[in-house]
Amino acid sequence: MSGARLTRREFGRLLGASALATWPGAGPAEGGAPQYRPAAEGPTLRVALVPCPDYGPETLAAAVREGWRSSRPPEVRGKRVVLKPNMVDVSADRPIHTDPRLLEALVLLLGDLGAREIVLAEGTSHNRDSEDLFRRSGYEALARRRGVRLVDLNYDDIRRVPCADPRATLLKEIALPETIASAEVLVSVPKMKTHKLAGITLSMKNMFGVLPGMVYGWRSWARPRRPASWSWATTRWPWTPRRPGSWDALAVDATAARVMGVDPAHVDYLAMAHRIKLGSLRREDIAVTVGRLDRARTDFALDPEYALLRAREG
Amino acid sequence: MMTSRLRTAAFLKSHQNPDGGWGYAPRRRSLVEPTAFAVLALQAGNETAAAGRGLGFLRTCVTPSGAIGLDPRDTEGNWMAYAALLAFHALGAAEEERRVKAWILAFEDASGRFSRSDIAEISTRFRYDASIPGWAWTPRTTAWIEPTALFILALRGAGVPAADKRIRSGIALILDRRVPSGGWNFGNPFSKGYELEATAMSTSLALAALGAAGVAAKRPEVAAGFRYLEGELDAGISTASLAWMLLASRHYPGIARRASGAASLLASLQAGDGGFRDNIFETALASLVLEDAASLKPAAGRIP
Repeated sequence: MSGARLTRREFGRLLGASALATWPGAGPAEGGAPQYRPAAEGPTLRVALVPCPDYGPETLAAAVREGWRSSRPPEVRGKRVVLKPNMVDVSADRPIHTDPRLLEALVLLLGDLGAREIVLAEGTSHNRDSEDLFRRSGYEALARRRGVRLVDLNYDDIRRVPCADPRATLLKEIALPETIASAEVLVSVPKMKTHKLAGITLSMKNMFGVLPGMVYGWRSWARPRRPASWSWATTRWPWTPRRPGSWDALAVDATAARVMGVDPAHVDYLAMAHRIKLGSLRREDIAVTVGRLDRARTDFALDPEYALLRAREG
Repeated sequence: MMTSRLRTAAFLKSHQNPDGGWGYAPRRRSLVEPTAFAVLALQAGNETAAAGRGLGFLRTCVTPSGAIGLDPRDTEGNWMAYAALLAFHALGAAEEERRVKAWILAFEDASGRFSRSDIAEISTRFRYDASIPGWAWTPRTTAWIEPTALFILALRGAGVPAADKRIRSGIALILDRRVPSGGWNFGNPFSKGYELEATAMSTSLALAALGAAGVAAKRPEVAAGFRYLEGELDAGISTASLAWMLLASRHYPGIARRASGAASLLASLQAGDGGFRDNIFETALASLVLEDAASLKPAAGRIP
């Protein structure tokens, strides 16, 4: 991943934008998919951009708490919260998965906020050796240390969910892991990075990892003639948030893309999500709190194939 | 003191679901792969009553076309058919074996659906030949190393000759997709000019399939694969990868120099209740491999 040329310190500084998109439950929309409509009175979406200079536990705890407080989060008290990190693989020399120290800070915060249960859940998308990956990523040790359940979504029990929005997918239903389908709050905790097939990957594309491998295969290229990014965008969003108003995932990704020096409107799947009104990526619809976007921008090295994604504006 | 096999049987029997099947973990819904392997392990231990109930569950999953997927509700069929074929063969369920074998041999991956330009582009970007038919996780999608290896293991176990054209093609795919520095990953040796790393599970399965098809030990891909795995043994390797590696090692005793150490390591992972990681599939697989069970052995026949 070319984005990994940034140092860990630089990654840490950008952490606030990359970290969190939350959904108050991930079930199918009832009565059709709600659609985002911009308000006339100004930005309706809020994204916290929190400086975080290092991965020390105190620094992370403070940053996560500030980011959570400032981003209009869902209520977690008494609820079952599922954390979905991004861990496709683990590399010894490049930070390509969500750092367990960030997850640990989040686990501690959610515990303080009264979450009834915290689950760490991932379904790796091409290497199905989750025992090996959970060990090497540090997730197994984290789960043991903090008493959270660690779930391999590829082999979880399945709930078949009808697709609410026929515009967003070719599938009439989708098989979701029970852990995801029954989550009361689902938190996407991605790794900000470039991607060889989609340009960049953030909180929305991270949800590709909830598709169970035992149903859809590991590394499924279902339609060889279609661009992969198109396929991902349509297969990842067959369901929509249960409660209208929880549109922030696209706003988080748009903001994180801008931090990376990428124009989100040029990223196929983000543009598509905007077009079908899953949210908004327009600057005027998004209030960035805590930090300033112009100060956080650090251009990630893009794959030459995706050079056109580079944002021209500041 | 109970033997390892008896403890395995006790673990499996204590977690059998009322429908006769097993999920991957205790108290989970029954699925074809863990059920088929539990059936094989119980049959190997002469636990015929529990194995028979498991076979009953598997029979409910087979469609008239021979397709078999996750469970009885899955009518399209998928990669789990490999495990069902092994179980039907081992337990003498001849009619189901015939139908499932025919479905697997007719399994269509995406290779015939790619255009010439698709194949050329994949060759450029990922450096493999996408026109070679193999097996995919789900029908009509791209073939990968692991499902191809699993289906070869099952077909060879069920007596399909190594010279069968589908097996020969599957072996060609595995050899074509090797990582140049040794071993295999899911099936992309390269991405845009970068060599991608091998992984232990894909490498173990690829070598087990090559061995089951009688691919000669003198092939450089075989030696390079075992060199990679031996490095992984030192770094730490998962239970399932270790079991598949041990299965592969039995085919290549002259090359797999650390097979006995791998066997000892695998045996040491069994918990007091007889399970491995509290996982039904891994428990059954480890038991079968450690016992060198006949059900995972291929019929005679070689590919030079």
